[in-house]
Amino acid sequence: MKGCAELALLVVLLAAPTAGNAANSPPPLSIVELMQMLASVESANARFVETRHSALLKAPLVLKGTLTYRRPDRVEKHVLAPYDERIAVDGGRLTFENRTHNRRKTMSVSGAPGLAALIESIRATRAGDLPALQRYYALQVEGHRGQWTLTLKPLDSRTADYVVSLELSGAGARIGRITIEEASGDRSVMEISEQHG
Amino acid sequence: MSMPPRAALAAWLVLVALCSGWLYRNLSIGTDLTVFLPPSTNSAQRMLVSQLRDGVASRLILIALEGEEPPALVQASRELARGLRASGQFGFINDGDLASAVKERELLLAYRYLMSPAVTAERFTVAGLSAALNESLALLASPAGPFIRKILPSDPTGESRHIVEFLVPDTGPEIRDGVWFSRDGTRALLIAETRAAGFDIDGQAMAIKAIRDALQATGATRVRLLLSGPGVFASEARATIQSEAQWLAAAAMGLVMLILFAVYRAPGPMVFSVLPVATGMLAGIAAVSWVFGPVHGITLGFGATLIGEAVDYPSFAYIQAARGERLADTVVRIGPTLRLAVLTTVLGASAMALSSFQGLAQLGLLTIVGVGAAGLVTRWVLPAITPANAVSRKVYAFPIDARGAMTIARRGRWIAAASIVAGLAGVAWHHDRLWDDDLANLSPLSEAAKSLDRTLRAELGAPDFRYLVIARGRDRESALEASEAAGAWLRETVGRGWIAGYDLPSNYLPSRKTQQSRRAALPDATTLARNLDLALRDVPFREGVFAPFLEAVERARTGPLLTIEDLRGSGFELKVNTLLVASEDGWAALAPLRGVSRPAELAATARTAGHELLDLKTESNNLVNSYRDESLRLIALGLLCMAGLLAWGLRSVVEAARVLAPVLAALILDVAILLSWGHRLSLFNLVALLLVVGIGLNYALFFNRPVADPDEQQRTLLSLVVCGATTLSAFGCLAFSRTPVLHAIGVTVALGAVLSFVMSAVLSTRETRRGAT
Repeated sequence: MKGCAELALLVVLLAAPTAGNAANSPPPLSIVELMQMLASVESANARFVETRHSALLKAPLVLKGTLTYRRPDRVEKHVLAPYDERIAVDGGRLTFENRTHNRRKTMSVSGAPGLAALIESIRATRAGDLPALQRYYALQVEGHRGQWTLTLKPLDSRTADYVVSLELSGAGARIGRITIEEASGDRSVMEISEQHG
Repeated sequence: MSMPPRAALAAWLVLVALCSGWLYRNLSIGTDLTVFLPPSTNSAQRMLVSQLRDGVASRLILIALEGEEPPALVQASRELARGLRASGQFGFINDGDLASAVKERELLLAYRYLMSPAVTAERFTVAGLSAALNESLALLASPAGPFIRKILPSDPTGESRHIVEFLVPDTGPEIRDGVWFSRDGTRALLIAETRAAGFDIDGQAMAIKAIRDALQATGATRVRLLLSGPGVFASEARATIQSEAQWLAAAAMGLVMLILFAVYRAPGPMVFSVLPVATGMLAGIAAVSWVFGPVHGITLGFGATLIGEAVDYPSFAYIQAARGERLADTVVRIGPTLRLAVLTTVLGASAMALSSFQGLAQLGLLTIVGVGAAGLVTRWVLPAITPANAVSRKVYAFPIDARGAMTIARRGRWIAAASIVAGLAGVAWHHDRLWDDDLANLSPLSEAAKSLDRTLRAELGAPDFRYLVIARGRDRESALEASEAAGAWLRETVGRGWIAGYDLPSNYLPSRKTQQSRRAALPDATTLARNLDLALRDVPFREGVFAPFLEAVERARTGPLLTIEDLRGSGFELKVNTLLVASEDGWAALAPLRGVSRPAELAATARTAGHELLDLKTESNNLVNSYRDESLRLIALGLLCMAGLLAWGLRSVVEAARVLAPVLAALILDVAILLSWGHRLSLFNLVALLLVVGIGLNYALFFNRPVADPDEQQRTLLSLVVCGATTLSAFGCLAFSRTPVLHAIGVTVALGAVLSFVMSAVLSTRETRRGAT
């Protein structure tokens, strides 16, 4: 991992002279830089609109709600419409609460490996936690500070049976969109507007 | 009484041949520890014993892999689990990877409408289906969506999900890349349930070997394997005891031989000295095997201890032979004393042989036959085979003047009396800390092994199996119904936080009644299709998506009920077989509990429901107590018989008292000293004390024997010193053992032998009278 960081640094240094020449294109972003940038955020609140496309559905399902994050390991997704559902991760515990269907369940995040991978994709990206991401995914970053895209591909073959890739894109320390491509051909796109605290 | 030497020799050879022949054809050595448990008095204890023998808890092996990076551990864990499943020695392997439990998943899916507790008629009405579909929709849109996407069309009401939630506790260990890991990520964890019962130590050892072989087959050479669990402990304990017993026995043998050589200065008598005890052991084992069938390993171990005093018989004979005296004449001369020494032990052991505890009875019989045979061999066979001059070269020059020593010893009476009083006071002082009731303290486990077990258990969230709820029924079916009834109130106690969780046989195999009522709750194909159409009006699922669901419900509605045969070969079969057991008056469903915080309230709730809460720890302690009480009663009875025999044999109550007094004094002091060292008495100490009685009585009898002249007194003292020294060195070696069993026996006997010797010298010696016979 350290070697990886050094290599990235080397690439940046070698690229530096030419970067000045290409006057209007900013330097490419390394994964380490992206993580450092994201890690600087202490807490964040956001509104989201998520569109779930599925072959099982007549029309895409649109969810609206809020996201909250507190560094380093608290994430909450609160769906407000069309039903009331709260999914919160606090440390290693996952709480699931659907007020509309009057269901509540808490479990260890690690109890559901696939679910853990999906939740970590959001939590660890938001926290800039590179080791956690690398535990579950192969990472690829494109773009520059002003506009980047992080693509995650599951390492575990069982998770890969369900999820093909996750694509997170954003600007600076803000995450603006998360797209999940499923093996079934279904996909979901979440548009996020963040405010940092 | 006389017998031609040749006849004695022939009889002995025939006996040895018969015993050897019998043992060669019939000897089987049992390792079933529960033979040593008492025939239990109540149903709770019987349940405890059957749980110890082959209950779920006794079959669990906790496995940890460490010493490599997590990815290598994950791979090793998966391959190990695959190898173990293929080995056929395990009923259930759990590495946290539910996906790999293929058979179990297939069962869950195939029988979900009969197994799910959520199946009711309301669930398949328009309203019920509508609610279920809305819930499934929310789940599809949640982070869990991708994972339930595939099964949703055939299971929109989420029955397989309900069953899994029901069966799999959510307090398990952390999962990395699909397998269980310790919190710090350094160990991959697995649980294996052996097919072999817990008491089957050979089977457990084979299972452990299978684990080691399977790990080796994965090629992960740098991965360290840690194992824990009752079966692992039992086989390790056996290995430790065997190896320790072997080298300690060798050391003891060497020391004894050294002492005998110093005395006899010739190999002949040394070899002949072994004959009585060897014959005794052979005859004793043959007798036990004839009467009881399998001879328990423990009987063999303790038996060797109990007839240990027979090693002394030839010493008494050889050393007491006067210069030029034929051994045949010597044994006639000391015959009455020797006979009494043998008979007292035989009588003491008779009380044990009559015990209703098979283990004690085996020990008793072995002692009776073994000591009896050794006595007969000493009396009749040794004179016949010992060459006339074999013992004549022995060293008579015992450097201590016996007469003087005895005179000094007799002056110690008041000191002896004072120390007996002190000993009694010491025992009385410790009376509330006398007994070690905790079975766990008898196990030869190192503290490191115990702490590894605690760590792995905590990390795996594995039940400690201290508490079980028992629900009974007349037959299997009604026990399953009782199991469901117990499930109803147990669920509430989980909600109240009294327990963290439970397991039940009816979770894996619901009763026929319950399955029938679930099946009856399923609507026919037309009704279900109509209800589904109506329910789908306000949920945005596509039409026709749920065709697999309609087929599955129709299949369940018209198909057969789930039976134990359907579970065959899956982990569920073993679960049902271990949690649903035949008992003396029907069947019992067992519910092992996890994380019990309010046992008293739980017991009361169980009673109200007509079930019972079994606390295995309390019951096992009660069991040990009843064992001890029985042993004590028998020992007391044995002592009483011995006293009677002594009074008859010595033809005087006073003489009998003179012989018994030092033995009792030695017992009291032995116990008092052990207690003052912070020991508590266990069953092993009791067995050892029985031997002390046997040895002590021999000393007292010979010290008390009238002697004709100073020369005879000199020889008597020498023979006693030799006997004392051999006993002390043999059992002194055992005292160095790290195994609690061997250590307890060694310390108790070595100490008891010294005390008996001193007390007999002080209290039993009579003044030398000329002309006495």
